[in-house]
Amino acid sequence: MTLAGELESHLPAGTTLVFGQLYLTRNDESNFEACHLDDMGDKVSLVPVDSVTDLRELAKFDASGEYRPLKTAPTLKGGWKTCCDDAAEFLKRLDAIYPAVFATWIAYARGEHHPTSLRRTLDRQTGMYRFAGTISDQLANRMMRELCHPGCIRTIAWPINDDHPVSRLKAHPKHIPVICTEACTFAVDAARTLAKEAFEKANAPVAGAAD
Amino acid sequence: MAYREKLANFGLIAKLLARPVTLRFRILVMPLSKPDSALLILGHGSTENPDSSQPSWDHAETIRKTGQFGSVHCAFWKEEPSFRQIWPMIEEREIYVVPNFISEGYFTRQVLPRELEIEGHTSVRDGRTIHYCDPVGIHSAMTGLLIKRAREIIDDSVKLEDTTLIIVGHGTNLNKKSTEAITDQVEAIKASGEPFAQVLDAYMEEPPFIADWQTLTDSPNVVVVPFFIADALHSYQDIPVMLGIETEITAAASQREVFRQNPYHFGERTLYYSSAIGTDSSLAEVIVDQVSYFDDHYRS
Repeated sequence: MTLAGELESHLPAGTTLVFGQLYLTRNDESNFEACHLDDMGDKVSLVPVDSVTDLRELAKFDASGEYRPLKTAPTLKGGWKTCCDDAAEFLKRLDAIYPAVFATWIAYARGEHHPTSLRRTLDRQTGMYRFAGTISDQLANRMMRELCHPGCIRTIAWPINDDHPVSRLKAHPKHIPVICTEACTFAVDAARTLAKEAFEKANAPVAGAAD
Repeated sequence: MAYREKLANFGLIAKLLARPVTLRFRILVMPLSKPDSALLILGHGSTENPDSSQPSWDHAETIRKTGQFGSVHCAFWKEEPSFRQIWPMIEEREIYVVPNFISEGYFTRQVLPRELEIEGHTSVRDGRTIHYCDPVGIHSAMTGLLIKRAREIIDDSVKLEDTTLIIVGHGTNLNKKSTEAITDQVEAIKASGEPFAQVLDAYMEEPPFIADWQTLTDSPNVVVVPFFIADALHSYQDIPVMLGIETEITAAASQREVFRQNPYHFGERTLYYSSAIGTDSSLAEVIVDQVSYFDDHYRS
């Protein structure tokens, strides 16, 4: 089945879905609509945004105008809606807001796309990010706790180490899961910072040591 | 080297390059018809500057409208969709990958293949055939586009004989290849017969430094064209400070009302600074032409 077909089957006519910070509906005439979850109660005043390009631009900045390089940051702004009657076009619009997120879930659910452990992600880094691979498990957990969980709406599907796999994620009713199958550039960067800090702390000159 | 091989192989483009005044030409002679193939454009992207990925999206949209491919996608090193996220989005079984990068070097030879899990010119991955094309920056048409950019930005009354053209790049001591793309272009522009007083290369992070443009040149006019993909962190925010046309790093281009106020006067000298070469709309055709080149030269 195509991805557009999957979307149609996930969202049959007359149903609704939650997809990250999005509220998706498909009315009895099979028209698709998406808006911010916060706006689901009052859609009358919402501004129509009906092109992929305009939606990508909308998702680029938060409500205060700050750049959103991470599209699954919990800062999607509201006040808009997008409507169309074609599943393929609707999927493109969703991808403008959450790039590849629906496709990732489908591939994961089909067993065609497997999470990559944090160790494998960090160990293949080169250049300035090579040092990230030295991060301890303890600091990796801290990174997930302090960076990933408050800063991103994705549910982590990857383990830190391959020998400690995490349970497979399941979809909740009326939800399309927003999952993370591999640590992103922000996580790799944070891992490098934490690893460097730990290294410098461990190798700092001892105060008062003899010359 | 790849650039020179390409110049030799692009007969029509090479002829047109010999007449750079007429460079408002259509690069592609024949459009492609690949409804069963996807095109994937790779860009660097940025976690800091919102304009870095825009040229890749713009070129993708231009190509998408031509209907030459079944679908057209973008993926980025520092934005989403990332190189690691992109494969589930693409449904075609044959995929052409074109790096929207300036040089053949660390990224195109090491980072991109590693992240995409591909090897060599053609890879088979999860039952799909992936063709890895050359980066846009080494396409022979870039020479003509650089000349076109320089000519467009200077005033009509300015004589090229009184004007030095500087092609500016990033430069890094970590990779010699990173400057090769620029020195190749400088040599090609010199060979084109364009009557610039001088044609020079300069860099942000290695000599000759762009910050020294006033001592590197002695002509009354200087035109600087950034050999970058986007008007982003380096070409729009860093280099203007190095040139002396901004006193501090400004907001991103898309966040300002005026893109740039050419020309800039430094005593008796006049400086023109263009937008990045990668923003030229002709890059969409260059991207497609890298696919044609792949079919003609790398496909077994």
